[in-house]
Amino acid sequence: MLQPLFERLARLDVSRAMNESGWVVATIQAFHLLALVLFAGAILIVDLRLLGRGLTDQPVAQVARAARPWVRAGLLGLIATGIPQLMSLAEKEYHSEFFWSKMYLLAAALVFTFTIRRSVTQREDARVGRFAAAAVGLVSITLWTGVAVSARLIGLF
Amino acid sequence: MSELLQPLRELFEWVDTFPSSIALRESQYVWSGVVVTHVISVCLAVGLLLVMDLRLLGAAHLQAPFSRLQRRLFPWQMAGVVLSIVTGLLLLYAQPLRYYRSVYFWMKMLTMALAALNAMAFHSRIYPSVAEWDERRRLPFGARAAGVLGMLFWAIVVIEGRLIPYSLTWFPQE
Repeated sequence: MLQPLFERLARLDVSRAMNESGWVVATIQAFHLLALVLFAGAILIVDLRLLGRGLTDQPVAQVARAARPWVRAGLLGLIATGIPQLMSLAEKEYHSEFFWSKMYLLAAALVFTFTIRRSVTQREDARVGRFAAAAVGLVSITLWTGVAVSARLIGLF
Repeated sequence: MSELLQPLRELFEWVDTFPSSIALRESQYVWSGVVVTHVISVCLAVGLLLVMDLRLLGAAHLQAPFSRLQRRLFPWQMAGVVLSIVTGLLLLYAQPLRYYRSVYFWMKMLTMALAALNAMAFHSRIYPSVAEWDERRRLPFGARAAGVLGMLFWAIVVIEGRLIPYSLTWFPQE
């Protein structure tokens, strides 16, 4: 269903230009990984706290509030570098099963992060049980790790 | 210069002939598993090192005293660093000549050494006085400088690592 869209993306002048100049794609991929590392640190410090590890002297909400600008910056960087990367490799990615598993996991991770995880990490009181908080942290780490693993496998298979 | 590097090249060429090195590079699934684990462990190590550097810069987690943040994150950072080193060495073992020829690989090694020197200088020169500035939001110049350098070096390490597959295109070898 989406194949014509991906073929059109690949045929755009800007996509072709990126592919012909190898260093543009290389630079975009390098900054995509850098944005991922920044994002991972900001997500992980909160997930560790949810698991009862890391900054345990501070309430979850305080750790999450401090990490939020860096979660947003990392996500913006990932989107800004992810879209041109998709454009330059559109046809290859359409036929990669790992690309689609990355997209499904990404959708699940984004929905989870900005609904359930957000509501748990924004609570100033301690109404969320220890096990519920740990479960949220574990699901978040699992989903985002799944996104990163699928993403890396696109280039390998 | 090439004469000076001859013993190093011979070492890499020798490792390249090991049956276990050949088996690892030819085993697509094991090798891919090592690559993926390397990326995840780099995310763990560098991600949490950047969090600490942001605290040094006064840009994040200001409510946490620096020494506590450092102590609490240290085991996770070290887990990431150890796993990155083990998987990195396995990747090097599987394809020694690929890395020997890669300009970005050697630049990455040099930048990692600079990052380690920065961390050592911070711990020997600046950290001993942590009690004086631990809870401040704006840390002394030396601490902020170590944070900026740490972020810069680790960001460059990540970029150089991702560019390794492109080295041969950019720097043709003999």
